[in-house]
Amino acid sequence: MRKYHLVRRADSQLKRTLIYYAIGILISLTIGAVILISLGINPFEYYGRMFTIGLVGNRYGYKSVEGLLKIFVPLLITSLALSLSFKMRFWNIGGEGEFLIGAICASIVAFNSSGLPNFVTVVLMCLAAMISSGIIGVAIAALKVKFNTNETLMTLMLNYIMLYVIRYIGDTKADWNFFLRKDSERPIFGSFPESAVMQGIHFGKFNLLWSVIIAVILTVIIYIYLKFTKHGYEISVVGDSSSTAKYAGMSVGKIVLRTMFISSALIGLAAALAVSSAGTVSDTITNDVGWTGIIVAWLSKLSVPAVFVTAILISVLQYGCQAAATQYPAIDINFADLLQGIILFSVLVADFAANFRLVKKEEAKNA
Amino acid sequence: MKKLLSMLVTAALALTSVFALAGCNSTAGEGGKGGNGKSGSDFKVGAIYINSQNDTSGYTYAHHHGITEAMKKVGLDPAKDLFIVDNVPEDDEKVKQAIDQLAGNGCNIIFGISFGYLNAMDEKAKEYTDIIFSHATGYLSNDKNFNNYFGRIYQARYLAGIAAGYKSLALKNNNIGYVSAWGTEYAETCSGINGFALGVLSVNPDAKINVYEISTWGDQELERQAAETLIDTYGCCVIAQHCDSAQPQIVANEKGVFGCGYNSDMTKEAPKAHLAAPIWNWDAYYATAIKAAMEDPANFMTKVGNYYEGLNAGLVDVSALSENCEPQTKEAIEIAKKMMVSGEWDVFSGVKLSFSGEAGSVAVAKTDAALVDNTGKEIVVAGGKSVDDGVIQGSMNYYVQGVTQVN
Repeated sequence: MRKYHLVRRADSQLKRTLIYYAIGILISLTIGAVILISLGINPFEYYGRMFTIGLVGNRYGYKSVEGLLKIFVPLLITSLALSLSFKMRFWNIGGEGEFLIGAICASIVAFNSSGLPNFVTVVLMCLAAMISSGIIGVAIAALKVKFNTNETLMTLMLNYIMLYVIRYIGDTKADWNFFLRKDSERPIFGSFPESAVMQGIHFGKFNLLWSVIIAVILTVIIYIYLKFTKHGYEISVVGDSSSTAKYAGMSVGKIVLRTMFISSALIGLAAALAVSSAGTVSDTITNDVGWTGIIVAWLSKLSVPAVFVTAILISVLQYGCQAAATQYPAIDINFADLLQGIILFSVLVADFAANFRLVKKEEAKNA
Repeated sequence: MKKLLSMLVTAALALTSVFALAGCNSTAGEGGKGGNGKSGSDFKVGAIYINSQNDTSGYTYAHHHGITEAMKKVGLDPAKDLFIVDNVPEDDEKVKQAIDQLAGNGCNIIFGISFGYLNAMDEKAKEYTDIIFSHATGYLSNDKNFNNYFGRIYQARYLAGIAAGYKSLALKNNNIGYVSAWGTEYAETCSGINGFALGVLSVNPDAKINVYEISTWGDQELERQAAETLIDTYGCCVIAQHCDSAQPQIVANEKGVFGCGYNSDMTKEAPKAHLAAPIWNWDAYYATAIKAAMEDPANFMTKVGNYYEGLNAGLVDVSALSENCEPQTKEAIEIAKKMMVSGEWDVFSGVKLSFSGEAGSVAVAKTDAALVDNTGKEIVVAGGKSVDDGVIQGSMNYYVQGVTQVN
C-alpha cells in the first residue's frame, strides 16, 4: 500500500514559485475561457475588458478609477489590520463584524452631524468607529488571554451578530431610528448630511478622496511600526513562540490586548472611511473585506508592501469582473464571482505546491 | 525573501493582464458584442437588477423579459444595446457604482427595478442630466430625467379573485388562503390582498380570505409550509399568493385543492390546481419608455412621466384561464375587465360589483356600498370615489372586510 506524505520543500526557489503562480493563473483563465467560449464570447476581449476595469471606451473613465479606489481603501486597511493580528498568530476572522460595528458607530455620528464642519464630523466618525471596534477587539482578546477562549470562534460569531444588528436597524421603521429615510413608507437607509461625506482633491474631474491618502500614509506607518519599533518586534516574537516571549520577559497578555485593539480599531477606521465615502450605510457596506482581507493577508505572507500590491490587484480583479460582466448581457455576476474564485483558488494552490511536495512514505523515510 | 515572492506573484498577475490586453486589442477591430463596437443604433439601455438576468422565473426574470421584448419591439438588439449590472443589493454605494458603469458605457436610459435603489437613482439623476432614470416601485422623481413606474396589479388580482370565488362557490367551501410575502407593512402586498379579496367577495359574499404572511419576498420552504398550513389547518380550498416561487400552487396541486399563482401562468407547475394568475407585462411600459427616450428625451417627463397604469395599458392582466376554472369565470372576468379598462369602475371605490347567473348568462349588479376595513372602519363612503393612487401605492395598511391574517 502506497502512502504519501506532504513535505515542506527545504529550499524556497524564487523561479519555481513564479512559474507555479503563472501556471495557476493560466489554468484558471483557461477554465474561464472555456466557459466564455461556450457562451459565444471572445475570451480575449472579455479578459481585456476585465483587466482594464472596463476603462477602454468608457466615457466616464475617471468614475471607474474612483469606484476602484472606493473598493481598494477598505480592503487595504482591513488586510493590514488582519496581518497585524495574524502576525502574532491571533486568528482574527471577525473583520466583517468589527467593520460593521465601526460602520454603525460612524453612522450614528454622521446622521446627527448636520451643521458641524466637514473635517470635524469625519474625524469624529473615525474616532467613534475606531474606539467601538477597538473595544470589541480588546474584549475578545481579553477572553482569550484570561480564559484561553477560542478567538476564531468568538470573532466568527461576532460577524453574524453584527450582520443581524445592522439588518435589524435597516428593517425597523420607528421614531428612534434616525438611520432610515424619513419620507419613505418602506424602511430604507437614508443618506448622510453633506457634513459627513468624504471630500477630496480635484484633479480636473477626477476626485481623489482623502481616504485614499489616509490609507497610503497608514500603510507607511504600519510598515514602520512593524519593522522598526519595539512593539513590532514584540508582535513577531509572540507570533514565533509565546513561550519565548514569556522567557524574554515580555508580557504576552498585554501585547495581545494592545495589538488586537490596534487591529480592530484599524478595521473600524476602514469602516468609517467607507461609510463616509459612500455617504450612507447598509448591510452590504463591508463588501466582504473581512473575508477578502484574510486572503490578501495570506497571499502577501503578512508583508506590508505585499499587502498593498495584492490589495490593488484583488480590487482590480473584483471591479474588473463586474465591469466586464456589465458589457455582456449574457454574463451575470455569478460568472464574475466564479472566475474570481477560480483565480484565487488556483493562486493559493500554486502557493501551496511551491512550498510543499508529495513524497512516497519510503522516500520520506530515506530523506 | 517571502516579500519578494509575493511581489513576484503580483507581477505575474499583472503580466497576464498585459497579455490579455494585447489579445483584446488585436480583436477589437471585429467590433465585439460589448459597448464599444458600433452597432446599428447608438441608443443604449441600461438595467440594474436585484437578481440575475439568467433567472428562469420571478421578479427579475419578468423585468428582464419585459426589457428585451420591448427593445425588440422598438428595433434595438438586446445582445448589443443592453447593459446590465445584476445582483445589485439595495446598497446606495453599489447602486451608484452600477450607474457609473452604465453611464460610462453610454447608456441613454437606465432602469432600476428594486425599491431600495431609490436614493442612488435620485442622486445620480442630478449628476447625469443627459441620461433618463426610471425606477420601478419608487415614489421619487424630478421634472427632467427621473420617473418612477409601477402598475395596478390589484386590478389583475381582483380578476383572479373572481376565478377563486366561483371555485369556492362550486366547492361549497368559503375558506380561501393567501400566502403573502408581507402583510400590512407594505402597501404593495396589502393592496394586492385587498384587491383579490374584493374579487372573491364579488362572487361569494360569504367567503373568508385567510392571509398567511411569510415575512420575506421569497423563501420556497416557507411558501410551501404556509400553503400547507392554510390547507390543513384552515381548510382552504383555493390558495392565492404574493411570493416569488410556485410552491403554494404545487402544494395545492398535491393536496387536491385549487390556486391562483402570480407573475407567470403557473398552470404548468400545477396542472390540476391552477386557475388563473395575475401577471405583469412589463414590456408594455418598457416599450413606451424606451420609445419616448429615443425619440424625444428632453420631454420624457411630460410624455411618459410617472407611470402607473393597469389593465388599460396592458401592463397587468390575468393569465389564460385554465380548464380548472368554473364555467362562469370567463364571462365574469371579461365584464369586470371591460369596466376597469374603460375607467367606468375601479376596485377600491364605494361601488361594489356582484356577479350572478349561470354560464352564458352571467350578470353583474353595481351597488353603492361603503368600502369597510376588517375592524369595521369606513374607508370610502357608499358611492364614493376610489382610494387615492398614492395610498394604494404607498400607505395602504388595512385589510378590507372578509380578510383575516392567521399568523
